[in-house]
Amino acid sequence: MKYLLFAGKGGLGKTTLSATTARYLASKGKKVIVFSTDPQASLTDVFEYDLFGKGEVKLAQNLYALEIDADRVVADYQASVRKKIIDMYGEVPEEIEDYIKSASAQPAMSESATFDSMIELIMKGDYDYYIFDMMPHGHAIRFLSMASLLDTWINKVVDIRKDSSDVDERVKRISGKESGASEEKGMIDELMDIKNRLGFMAKIISARDTTALFYVVIPEQMAIMDTEIAIREFKKFGIELSGIIVNQVYPKELASDPNVPDFLKNRVKMQQGNMETIKKKFGDRIVAHVPMMDKEPKGLEMLEKTAYIVYGGTHE
Amino acid sequence: MDEKKEDKKRFGSIKNAIKDFVYGMAAHDMVTYSLRTRMHMENLFMLIVMGDMLGIPVLPPYYSLRLLPHVVPHVKTWKRTLLRDRDVTDRMFGG
Ligand SMILES: Nc1ncnc2c1ncn2[C@@H]1O[C@H](COP(=O)(O)OP(=O)(O)OP(=O)(O)O)[C@@H](O)[C@H]1O
Ligand SMILES: [Mg+2]
Repeated sequence: MKYLLFAGKGGLGKTTLSATTARYLASKGKKVIVFSTDPQASLTDVFEYDLFGKGEVKLAQNLYALEIDADRVVADYQASVRKKIIDMYGEVPEEIEDYIKSASAQPAMSESATFDSMIELIMKGDYDYYIFDMMPHGHAIRFLSMASLLDTWINKVVDIRKDSSDVDERVKRISGKESGASEEKGMIDELMDIKNRLGFMAKIISARDTTALFYVVIPEQMAIMDTEIAIREFKKFGIELSGIIVNQVYPKELASDPNVPDFLKNRVKMQQGNMETIKKKFGDRIVAHVPMMDKEPKGLEMLEKTAYIVYGGTHE
Repeated sequence: MDEKKEDKKRFGSIKNAIKDFVYGMAAHDMVTYSLRTRMHMENLFMLIVMGDMLGIPVLPPYYSLRLLPHVVPHVKTWKRTLLRDRDVTDRMFGG
């Protein structure tokens, strides 16, 4: 395993478990990076260290985190497109400028920019492990299916473009004239580069031997239902779940502890009931149970403690 | 003998001229046809990568922007052709 993805409904512990796992693997001597794909990035919060828009930040020996400022990435990208046009033609025509502005303002833009940053990071290949803290639920499914959808799509575009080049060739052969399209090479190169990146990513996302997708659930009915739906949805896009992590589980001893207030006892009992449901529904897909910690798992020390409880001395 | 040769030569050059002419026509048709095909392909390609400009998003804008520098010179013609081609626009916008 090289790429670990943590997905799940909002607020169940994706970021916490991503950070915990990263902490654990780093302590085992592996060079690890955690990347947040969530615009409501909270790695900064969990690591108690300002990471936002700071690039790849070293937090401890072997432990790195990356929380991109998607808006800034989009702005930089926009500027680079403008510069390229100026380099090529001397100026940016008005309607082109309008288009650049309106395209950059679309919400899909920052999602794509995040996706591209993720591809970039993986392609550089500097780390032993890549941990991705995914955005909640539906977004994650759409996000991850993007690679394979776009991959298919870009292949078609490349085909059309190549057909066009064939026609150009034919025209040239018969008439001895160029049919225009001197930018052709640049265009094909660009298309091929996009195609390579998306193909690379699509392969990684669907490669079950190097990529593991974990789904975080808690012993609550809503969360269980959502997880069932998500599993089906992921499957539709050819993405198989590698395992389910049950988080925020109250130790069942609490139910018989006389010092524990009744409302908490009831909660523990409710959880125990839901744990049965989880076992029935997900069975051998459950890879770990993570107890509800008495303190929020934040900061390197607390994460280390959580990692110890979750992983003990064993390897996942 | 010389005359016959001359005739043959003349005849040959006429034949060549005709051949050139016919071939020229065919080639011209082929070039025209190819250019038309090429134009349709170009329009289709532009629609896919830049459709967003006309409010028909096909490719995510992130990738459209990457391709944008390479299509700058075509944008004006493409928009004009597409908007003039009532057939296409009618079908597309139910016009
Ligand atoms: N095992 C645990 N014990 C105690 N608190 C936990 C545990 N797991 C998560 N939490 C707390 O629950 C809250 C939500 O966790 P986290 O931010 O990791 O969830 P998330 O799935 O990343 O949420 P979001 O969808 O908002 O990004 C946090 O305050 C976190 O500290
Ligand atoms: Mg989170």
